[in-house]
Amino acid sequence: MISALVASDFATPHVDYHALAPEIVLGVGICLLIVLDLFLAESRKWLVSTVAGLILLGAVLPVVTLGVIGSDVRSMFDGRYVIDNFSLVLKALFLLSGYVVVLMSSRDTEERTPYQGEYYTLLLTSIMGMVMMASARDLVSVFVALEFLSIPAYMLAAWRKRDSKSNEAGMKYFLLGVFASAVMLYGMSLLYGVTGSTRLVDIGQAVTGTDHLVGVQVLGIVFVIVGFAFKVSAVPFHTWAPDVYQGAPTPITAFLSVASKAAGFVALSLLVFLAFPAAKSVYEPFLWVLAAVTITVGNLLALKQKNIVRMLAYSSVSQGGFILMPLAVAGTGDARTSLRAVVVYLIIYAATNLGAFAVVMAVSRKTHSGEIASYGGLFNYAPGLAAVMTLFLASLAGIPPFGGWYAKFGAFKAVLEARTGAAYTLAVIAAVNTVVSAAYYITLMREMWMKPAPDGDESPVRVPRNLVAALVITGVATLAFGVLPGFSGYGAITGLAGAFGR
Amino acid sequence: MDILVFVCAAAMILCGALGVVTLRHPVHAALSLVLTLFGVAVLFVAQNAHFLAVAQVIVYAGAIVVLFLFVIMLLGVDRVEDLHAEPFKVQRPLAIVSGVALAGLLIAAVVASQHTNVAARGAGLPGVNPVRNDLHDGNIVALSKDLFSGHVLAFELTSVLLVIAVVATVLLARRSRGIDAAPTDGQAT
Amino acid sequence: MIAVAVTSTWYLVLAAVLFGIGLAGVMIRRNPLIMFMCIELMLNAVNLSFVTLANHLGDIGGQTTVLFVMVVAAAEVVVGLGIIVAILRRRPGATADDLSELKG
Repeated sequence: MISALVASDFATPHVDYHALAPEIVLGVGICLLIVLDLFLAESRKWLVSTVAGLILLGAVLPVVTLGVIGSDVRSMFDGRYVIDNFSLVLKALFLLSGYVVVLMSSRDTEERTPYQGEYYTLLLTSIMGMVMMASARDLVSVFVALEFLSIPAYMLAAWRKRDSKSNEAGMKYFLLGVFASAVMLYGMSLLYGVTGSTRLVDIGQAVTGTDHLVGVQVLGIVFVIVGFAFKVSAVPFHTWAPDVYQGAPTPITAFLSVASKAAGFVALSLLVFLAFPAAKSVYEPFLWVLAAVTITVGNLLALKQKNIVRMLAYSSVSQGGFILMPLAVAGTGDARTSLRAVVVYLIIYAATNLGAFAVVMAVSRKTHSGEIASYGGLFNYAPGLAAVMTLFLASLAGIPPFGGWYAKFGAFKAVLEARTGAAYTLAVIAAVNTVVSAAYYITLMREMWMKPAPDGDESPVRVPRNLVAALVITGVATLAFGVLPGFSGYGAITGLAGAFGR
Repeated sequence: MDILVFVCAAAMILCGALGVVTLRHPVHAALSLVLTLFGVAVLFVAQNAHFLAVAQVIVYAGAIVVLFLFVIMLLGVDRVEDLHAEPFKVQRPLAIVSGVALAGLLIAAVVASQHTNVAARGAGLPGVNPVRNDLHDGNIVALSKDLFSGHVLAFELTSVLLVIAVVATVLLARRSRGIDAAPTDGQAT
Repeated sequence: MIAVAVTSTWYLVLAAVLFGIGLAGVMIRRNPLIMFMCIELMLNAVNLSFVTLANHLGDIGGQTTVLFVMVVAAAEVVVGLGIIVAILRRRPGATADDLSELKG
């Protein structure tokens, strides 16, 4: 009797397999990788990294075909999972930056990290969570995607069991991450209580920040944003970032500082543009303060760092503040400009920061040190590395004509278009900080170009092939995004990224 | 009757929670956690969430707390934590103040909105399924319908997550071959 | 018998108190295992809040969310205890304050 009843009014959900193909390729690939690892002899483990790279490129294929076929929005499960141009651009970003991280890892893991098969499996799982995040349009899928990308990351941060720094990094990251998701979930429950639905679009209709439910709404919005502020390491929720970045294996640090952070910003933009568009009086001041404090404190702390990974960690905290800027004016300014600024910044920042970490890995193969002083004389014995590092640092500092300049230009443009006193103040704070940030990037450049090698050892650095490939990909991307902002195809991509489908 | 159930369950929950926070012995704290989890399960039943109540008892009180106890025993960390050792003088008062302030804020917001008829707004939205059902096990039917129509992708992907979590945790927690084995390696205790 | 109806507000207030206790606990305790238990308290407050609101609104979606929270919490416990075992096996009796190699 019950089965008859279930059969009568249960409608099998429509599944668009083409739209889900990236997720399916990744899911099957993950299972394949676990099994493959079991049957590989110890001497042939290098195959695992090759296969992991191929799986990621295989998942990019359907993203490309979906993009080529058309711009119509594919919506599944009552609008809870949507494939639109925004999600396709970000899926491609996550998969490709994952591929670069695999390239960076392959030599490193062979030498220093145990259990390669599972290492790549975890990496793919985390990337799958990000791919899912780009399409999630429902509180439940946002939450599941967030945990999907975080849980493997906790384990990857602690992956070098023998290294007590790596243990400590994993532990800190785990406790703070779980704490943040508990806070975020409480906020979600309040938003659900206001709305009666978990879909972001429904929440966007009910959450206005004005009527008599305003207390619950404000707490819900603030709690959810705080949860994601941990993920994107916005000040004052950034304390885990430098410790974790320093303690985790370097490829994982690059992964966390780029892909994981980008996923956090994707979730924040989904919430700001779909779930809270009517509540700008609530989220705008909060994000304004977060952005201003994040840019300033990140920069000031980066200035006094002696370790290059910690310096890059604080610099990435500060860069995160720049990405928060367009979100802080999303309601008063033009929503499309703001969203485009966020997406463009994420893409360029990903290329630049991955490249900078690749150089750090290459140099540390010779110097075995993370101190900034150990970069002395780099130009004399490795002019190529010094040149690309200069490229990445100049891009991070926002010096034209490199990519970072165009990203910062977009962020400032979005803020200035809001035309309010608060927006102008934010732009001034950010401009001052851009100048301050140049100081620590230039310190490192001076070290590379002017100073002699600290121990007089000027034997050349041997850079493995995979790392060279990673450097070429990120270097070309950084340069191209800066030099060719008017390039037709590139303009079309950023245009596509400017709109959400329903 | 309702009020009796609520008061008893609330007392269980709060006593258990305070126990977790204040008891020095990790095993005692874990047992207090069980008390809280059972109280929450009772309140789930009181609010028509029968399936979740069962899952709460089996998954949380059963599996998760047992896992906690296992780890406490395995590592031999079942010794008393010195709660008087203070890393920072301000930390404990600060923690209590922020906990109380946050709870107060939440309570104020909830109480202020209690006279609003939220259900009326919710009912107008699409995709709202009724919880109450005349079927004696209507809760499970309604839950599974929602789960397998709107959330089927998240459900399927969660299974991948569980597999990965188990595989990787085994590697992380097991004694690795060779040099880095702890000094206690080989001891059965 | 006192004739007072138990409304949803009572449950939500209880959830708020439970959340506050858990939050204070995370900040007070130094043993990573117990800090993690306090986080479980916070997650239970979330679940109670979701179930109450689902009942109040007559919408099953809140209960579905709780199911996902439970599953993910189970995965988190497995992973978290794995990391804690890895760390405490090397340094028995470590507290969150002893973990201070990384600074600056």
